[in-house]
Amino acid sequence: MDEEYDVIILGTGLTECMLSGILAVEGKKVLHIDRNDFYGGECASVNLTQMYQRFRNGEQPPSELGRDRDYLIDLIPKFLMTGEGLIKVLVYTDVVRYLEFRAIATSMVYNGSKIYKVPSTPNEALTSSLVGVFQKVKARSFFEFLQSWQGTEAHHQGVSMDGDTMDKVYEHFGLNEDTQEFIGHSMALHLDEGYKKRPARETCKRVIMYANSAARAMADGRNSPYIYPQYGLGDLPQAFARLSAVYAGTFMLATPVDEVVRDEAGAFVGVKSGGKIARARQVIGDPSYFTDSVRVTDRVIRAICILRAPIPKTEADSAQIILPQRQTGRKHDIYVTCLSSQQKICPAGFYVASISTIAETQGDPKEEIAAGIKLLGPIDQIFVTVSNVYEPVTDGTKDNVFISRSYDATSHFETVYDDVKDLYHRITGKDLVLQKRPKMEEDAAAAAT
Amino acid sequence: MVPTPEITATFKILLIGDSNVGKSSIIRRFTDDKFLSPEETNATIGVDFKVTMYDVDEKRYKLAIWDTAGQERFRTLTSSYYRGAQGVILVYDVSSRETFENLENWIEEVNTYCPSDDVVKMIVGNKIDKETEERVPRKEGFEYARKHQTLFLECSAKTKVGVQQAVEELVNKIIDTPSLWSKSSPKKGTVSVDESVTSGFSSGCAC
Repeated sequence: MDEEYDVIILGTGLTECMLSGILAVEGKKVLHIDRNDFYGGECASVNLTQMYQRFRNGEQPPSELGRDRDYLIDLIPKFLMTGEGLIKVLVYTDVVRYLEFRAIATSMVYNGSKIYKVPSTPNEALTSSLVGVFQKVKARSFFEFLQSWQGTEAHHQGVSMDGDTMDKVYEHFGLNEDTQEFIGHSMALHLDEGYKKRPARETCKRVIMYANSAARAMADGRNSPYIYPQYGLGDLPQAFARLSAVYAGTFMLATPVDEVVRDEAGAFVGVKSGGKIARARQVIGDPSYFTDSVRVTDRVIRAICILRAPIPKTEADSAQIILPQRQTGRKHDIYVTCLSSQQKICPAGFYVASISTIAETQGDPKEEIAAGIKLLGPIDQIFVTVSNVYEPVTDGTKDNVFISRSYDATSHFETVYDDVKDLYHRITGKDLVLQKRPKMEEDAAAAAT
Repeated sequence: MVPTPEITATFKILLIGDSNVGKSSIIRRFTDDKFLSPEETNATIGVDFKVTMYDVDEKRYKLAIWDTAGQERFRTLTSSYYRGAQGVILVYDVSSRETFENLENWIEEVNTYCPSDDVVKMIVGNKIDKETEERVPRKEGFEYARKHQTLFLECSAKTKVGVQQAVEELVNKIIDTPSLWSKSSPKKGTVSVDESVTSGFSSGCAC
């Protein structure tokens, strides 16, 4: 502890552990601290005892729920898509060697109080009842427009990707509300309608990422574009922590941070814990370590539910259901996810469902997610939380204190990846260019010689 | 050219125990037959695990032997480190009673993350080449291992004594317990993740 490091990292959430691994591979001397005695912070997957400690004042979990350690419940529900940036990082750093992914069996969308399977690909969408008969030709020309766009050009077929709003693009192609809802919420996975007033590039890129992931899923014989690491999302930060440790990163858990020491000008000096001080040029940490330097952007409602049967109408071991805001008369979509022993996160015969959305009132959070709760059928246990989403007030370049964003209500990890890239840029002054780590087989071959 | 024998199974073997008991040295001695002086141990940076082949009864087994990457120092090994292991070697230093007594914590950790019926455990007392009065008696190590129903051996990574025997005895026990590894392949139902991009818009006509 009483030592000099290049960078000290506080908190072992996914953002912090990804940066820890990336910086350690680059040869930086990293000290990584967490006040908890487990990895993952808010991204941890916890057992039943930990759940009851957190949400039921340490009550003993009922024995009917099965073996405590068979549960690995994500505090923040998310899935991955093969086309997203996090996957690229996992592959380049070969952190995938520590993980096994499983398919999410089905992806559904709520429409007029019923749930329907989300079409897997743009082509399937054109034959689905979710896109109206008279919209099919128009939707097809929009998809063809995306197909021919290279993803980088600023102008394409008369559309300015950065100058025109998504609203304008919808208008350009004559897409109606239903089709817009499908594209914006089921494919681009926007949580609210705000995207329509923003430049089209963002949404177009998201739709392409979704479509590529869906096509890959179809080629592999999977029914949804989503995948999930078995044993829970908590394995993601742990896998990056292992990468960091292999490259000489030092980890200390159960280590309270007594003080973040700054000099007279306010710049970072070191971290005090138990009377000792570790010094470094820079510090990275999650918002909980810098409560004076963050502000609240949103409040997220999350309900974790233990079920004894799959979600009705999905009849699947795992599922994602999107409830677009327009369908429930809200401003924000509600997401429902469900996992089971297939993903090794609970004992056989149980299902763990999560409902999440951005809070819109100060009232009863259960009221806000009522439409989601109704879909689940009988619920054995429900744990509801409302947590703040924080962002840093400064970018850290002046005081060398770099603070990550909280995990938001989105259904995948694109915003986490964006934050990692952004933090990396602020920390090093360079764009994140991942070095390719030898794959496990290559490592093995080298090790065998 | 002699054809490469088919690999019957791949075993994940872990080493755990306190810092400086010689875990990396045991791995290095077993896989490369080398012993590094303390000044050279920085060479272990970037080493995740070592792979070696083990041939017995005309069958070939691949051993992936995982090192702790220093995460044992502050007891911060990840639960994922333990996953899927068929064998665990718990190492102590016979010249340090403290490392022997700390085995209790390590055994508890193994039992938490690797259900006992799924893994073969072995306790290994390393550094028997060291001349010391404080030595943990062999008998005590043996009794302790018997109490916890694990295999037991003493060795010296420095002089080579016992290292080969330790790993081989562990692996033979794994081979003799097919239920540990011949179950349905763990890869079944998993999704492979790679860099290839599938275009989402080119899968034919939607007419």
